[in-house]
Amino acid sequence: MSNNQIKNYNLNFGPQHPAAHGVLRLVLEMDGEVIDRADPHIGLLHRGTEKLLENKIYVQGTPYFDRLDYVAPQNQEHAFCLAIEKLTGMEVPKRAQYIRVLYAEIGRIQNHLMNICSYAMDVGAMTPFLWGFEEREILYEFCERACGARMHMNYFRPGGVAQDIPAGLTDDVRAWADRFPQVVKDIETLLTENRIFRQRTVDIGEISLEDAQDWAFSGPNLRGCGVPWDLRKSQPYDSYEEFDFDIPVGKGKNDCFARYYLRILEMYETCKIIKQACDKLDACVGEPSKCTDNKFTPPKRAEMKTSMEALIHHFKLFTEGFKVPAGETYCAVEAPKGEFAVYLVSDGTNKPYRCHIRAPGFAHLQAMDFLSKGHMLADITANIGSLDIVFGEIDR
Amino acid sequence: MGVNSKPGSQALAPIPQGTEQDVLLKAVSDEIQDRGFVVAQLDKVVNWARTGSLWPLTFGLACCAVEMMHAGMSRYDLDRFGMVFRPSPRQSDVIIVAGTLTNKMAPAFRRVYDQMAEPRYVVSMGSCANGGGYYHYSYSVVRGCDRVVPVDIYVPGCPPTAEALLYGLLQLQKKIRRTGTLFR
Amino acid sequence: MSEALKELAEIISAKLAQEITSTEIQNGELILNARRDAVCKVLTFLRDDANCQFKLLMDVCGADYPARDERFDVVYNLLSIRYNLRVRVKVTTDEDTAVPSVTSIFSAAGWFERETWDLFGIYFDGHPDLRRIMTDYGFEGHPLRKDFPLTGYVELRYDDEQKRVVYEPVKLTQDFRSFDFLSPWEGMQGQLPGDEKAEGNA
Repeated sequence: MSNNQIKNYNLNFGPQHPAAHGVLRLVLEMDGEVIDRADPHIGLLHRGTEKLLENKIYVQGTPYFDRLDYVAPQNQEHAFCLAIEKLTGMEVPKRAQYIRVLYAEIGRIQNHLMNICSYAMDVGAMTPFLWGFEEREILYEFCERACGARMHMNYFRPGGVAQDIPAGLTDDVRAWADRFPQVVKDIETLLTENRIFRQRTVDIGEISLEDAQDWAFSGPNLRGCGVPWDLRKSQPYDSYEEFDFDIPVGKGKNDCFARYYLRILEMYETCKIIKQACDKLDACVGEPSKCTDNKFTPPKRAEMKTSMEALIHHFKLFTEGFKVPAGETYCAVEAPKGEFAVYLVSDGTNKPYRCHIRAPGFAHLQAMDFLSKGHMLADITANIGSLDIVFGEIDR
Repeated sequence: MGVNSKPGSQALAPIPQGTEQDVLLKAVSDEIQDRGFVVAQLDKVVNWARTGSLWPLTFGLACCAVEMMHAGMSRYDLDRFGMVFRPSPRQSDVIIVAGTLTNKMAPAFRRVYDQMAEPRYVVSMGSCANGGGYYHYSYSVVRGCDRVVPVDIYVPGCPPTAEALLYGLLQLQKKIRRTGTLFR
Repeated sequence: MSEALKELAEIISAKLAQEITSTEIQNGELILNARRDAVCKVLTFLRDDANCQFKLLMDVCGADYPARDERFDVVYNLLSIRYNLRVRVKVTTDEDTAVPSVTSIFSAAGWFERETWDLFGIYFDGHPDLRRIMTDYGFEGHPLRKDFPLTGYVELRYDDEQKRVVYEPVKLTQDFRSFDFLSPWEGMQGQLPGDEKAEGNA
């Protein structure tokens, strides 16, 4: 018998890969087709966001948050704006809160559509990708009508939103929200009962509640274990307590299929929230859409050209920026991927002293090794897709 | 062929339906009937083939990748231009650098570019790929992907809308028609 | 919420009097300052105690205060789903002293501690796999320290002769323009010369 040493096969699931959801270098040690160890190398999109934020004033820093989780940009800005508002004690008017809720939920649908459709494509189904992205295009249209930019809106500002939404937008959004559940049902007919999809997702990437808590899962990944933990209900921010919606929670095993199905159900619930937000917005037309304290939010241009005080405020805000009192805060929002939080330390000046970004994908991708042990290579793509990973926020 | 056109002329746009098109089609079909073959300039045919089926490589790095996906989807369909996204560099003609190129990613990117077969083109999409963009002053970002590969078309925007990317790709087609040759 | 946090602060400071140096409630958030070597004990207590149950370690990050002796702050943010509470544990250290790793208590700390090591240079004792995670493979330095320049020391380009990417010292065509508009009046402490007399005369 020859003295052969059997070594594991090292495979580089390289940075350029159609199913890697961005730049992920996953070094796999495999015993045949079965994974022994998965070591994700991240940092291939590390752009130095936190360092750049320390050198810019607060309003110049909000667009960095758009570019973190770029499939639902508005939700990240939301966290930053909430952190600043907490430290400064700014009061956000109700209309601005409703607009923020509307766009945060639009972001949630954008994210879930992207996740489900690209997950389906990774697993092999090409059609949901085309259907889902047409809906995303319509949502981009709504974003463009509010602020001018399809994707990176820079719309949520400390104190409210940059400008009020145009007339007629709520009617269009409501009409779309009436039609949208049917689109989700169509996508479901292709995937949920599909034998091939089920074989590729059921019992793959299973995780128990203790392990999920140990690995700091949050969002749909944690709710798949059966815990009804949603920051919009437990620690509501921005008038979420006024909205009536349910939280889908997993029953039984928390595998890839459970997480996928949870996201589908969340889309139905989000449609409810969007319709309620449209109704509330129609009821409060004409109210201010940003904090009225001009020490923080710039005055309207017409006012700036006639009133001396407004001119001074405008000048101070656009040169120096507003100053945030010294202190620190950890402000979390229920981003579509999980708990997205900003740990903001301010030293009393107009620039953040330290702004740490806690991205949900970072904690979830850590568990990749734990989830993939014993699975096969084809299950890696299923696992990555179900964890909802986007490298903008992981690498910052 | 019965139609005279100088090499590199701009009169290469498709002729819309009407009498001009009918005349042209009649001339071509007559020639085929008479002689049995049609003669055209070789490099024009080659350029037509190259521009008509430009296969891009999926190289989405950051946010611009989402707009690139949107360009390929139902509304701004890239497939009708013959552009199908290929996952492998060996099978693609053009690489669309969509997103921020970081120092860590640069060697991998250059490797992928080297694996592409000639003729290959590079479209730099978005301000991060053009010149570092929003992250220009960062310690870990390559200030423009043209420090690593030669770029043909720069598409500005942050992110460029899917329509802008489409425009950039059509500009690339025009560039290929203008400068493409058979022999290097 | 604040009452619950105050009660929790009292319970914790009673049980862990040696390990917690101070507690404060700021902006509705409970902050515990702990001794560096006791951080494992504190976190285990917070995770397991019946009144605390902070089972999720949401975030571990660092902060650099170069003016202080112990310039780094390691901040642990925990969440309790059971009681719907958050708590923050802060530990200070300097460049040469290691902090005990909490990966044995929370697996989630693994990558967070790697990131803090990479970006600040804070060493974690007992971490199973402490290597760089965010920065480039041969990167030198710890970027988020306050003395590290924004643009770094090296930049990258592809050299056609050597047929590989090379690192060269940074040469920016336009420097980062940092506008310092902090108003001298508002930032000033003390009085302008001559003002002492104004108070007396009024």
